[in-house]
Amino acid sequence: MKKGLKYLFGIIVFAVLAVNSVYFRKLDERKASSSKFDAKEYAKSYFNTKLKPSLSNAVEINQLMSFLQSNKEQTFEKYAHALGIGNIRYFLVKGEGIVTSINENDVSVLAKADTARKAIRIATEFVFGNAIRDASGKIDVNEFSNTMDFNSVSSEINKIVRAEVLPRFKANVKKGDTVQFAGAVELNKEHLSVEDIELIPIQLKIVRSQGQ
Amino acid sequence: MLLVILFTVLVVNSCQSKKNVGRKKVAIIVSTLNNPWFVFLGENAAAKAKQLGYETKIFDSQNNTALETDHFENAIASGYTAILFNPTDADGSVSNVLKAKEVGVPVFCMDREVNSTEAATSQILSDSYSGCVALGKYFVRQLDKKGKYVELLGLVGDNNTWNRSKGFHEVVDNYPGLKMVAQQSADFDRNKAMEVLESILQAHGDISGVFCGNDAMAMGAYQALVAAGKDKTVKVFGFDGAEDVINAIADGKVSATGMQFPKVMAYTAAGFADEYFKGRRDFPKKMPVAVEMVTKEKIKDYTAYGKKNQ
Repeated sequence: MKKGLKYLFGIIVFAVLAVNSVYFRKLDERKASSSKFDAKEYAKSYFNTKLKPSLSNAVEINQLMSFLQSNKEQTFEKYAHALGIGNIRYFLVKGEGIVTSINENDVSVLAKADTARKAIRIATEFVFGNAIRDASGKIDVNEFSNTMDFNSVSSEINKIVRAEVLPRFKANVKKGDTVQFAGAVELNKEHLSVEDIELIPIQLKIVRSQGQ
Repeated sequence: MLLVILFTVLVVNSCQSKKNVGRKKVAIIVSTLNNPWFVFLGENAAAKAKQLGYETKIFDSQNNTALETDHFENAIASGYTAILFNPTDADGSVSNVLKAKEVGVPVFCMDREVNSTEAATSQILSDSYSGCVALGKYFVRQLDKKGKYVELLGLVGDNNTWNRSKGFHEVVDNYPGLKMVAQQSADFDRNKAMEVLESILQAHGDISGVFCGNDAMAMGAYQALVAAGKDKTVKVFGFDGAEDVINAIADGKVSATGMQFPKVMAYTAAGFADEYFKGRRDFPKKMPVAVEMVTKEKIKDYTAYGKKNQ
């Protein structure tokens, strides 16, 4: 009997130790919790105090196309930003145009400036990546102790656009509306293609609705 | 006569050894040479440093931080004056870099970073996050926003593993129709990836996609799918731009990869070391290198480990 109690006691102690010594967490949760950087707060401040004011320096989309045609090198040098080496470069652009179609993942717009006309797509679904963060040239990777924190800033900036800019626009925009837009465009310097321009929006405004 | 010959030999030898003493030595310490991508990185760094006039040696850390520590100690003791470094662990490798810094040996990180802005002289790193955001968008479109999928992670201690995973999930997690049924580490290793996916397929035979943190794992995953007879129905995505995956994309076996530019990183690191010896000290702490997505439609512009005509 005594022996039985001993074994029972031993099993209980072992079970308590085993339960408390092992725990399971998802790998990405473990990694996420190791950073103390508040990316959400940083992104909010960056978006309002640096990004929005820099939109006044954005180049008009038709003008950008004309500059690229006449002198690609100089245009990339003057207007594009990127944080390192490579062919991917980001431009801060703006413009006004007529909505030509509403699609599953974007809104097609014919941007007008004087006699120039450029068809672009405004992304309304895939607003992700570093385009918005990097296009203004106002952020420095060396301010951050690791690139994961730096990338979290992009993630939070994109969330602001998806939560505050896109819903109202998507709910109200119609074919034929006149819209004003500002945002980031990614171009590959070595293999430049301007046929299919996708704008990642920062500001969108319906200035004349077709229904009015 | 014999004395004259002996004297001449001695003079010639002493001149040669003086020449060797004056020649600076650059150590290239690479996380593993068990992966062709890192072999390419290390060999290009060594080739560029040699071309710039330095003596070089490549050290293989075999993904082991303790072995990496030995290599640092050996390199410093053997008089290497700069280290071109591909770390094994973002946190675990910091002390090795600091050791070199203490004795005035500059360290230039290639491809993988250490979690300190003070340790390395400069870090030249692929923008893994952006590359995987692009892959994530493509993944969502290819799977038509629905289906079950598996993610194979790289080394858990490497920041690239998480930057890639984070970039991918930044997009994919917004689609409730896409369900991740397993997320497991295969340590960037082809054989391990094959074993891990074989085991996952036992429980989840109905997946539509596999996202892999590097190309070696993508090839391992593809092998597992071939063995299970699912290679025609499950889409595989990799990251690196390794030769076998570039060929597999051209053949329609793998859907896409993120092209890194190891030659650009290796050459930049060797060039920085050369500039350091010539007196430059104002290096960017971090230098991201853009990653470009390669799909079957764009394959004509790319070759293994880079762009055509790079």
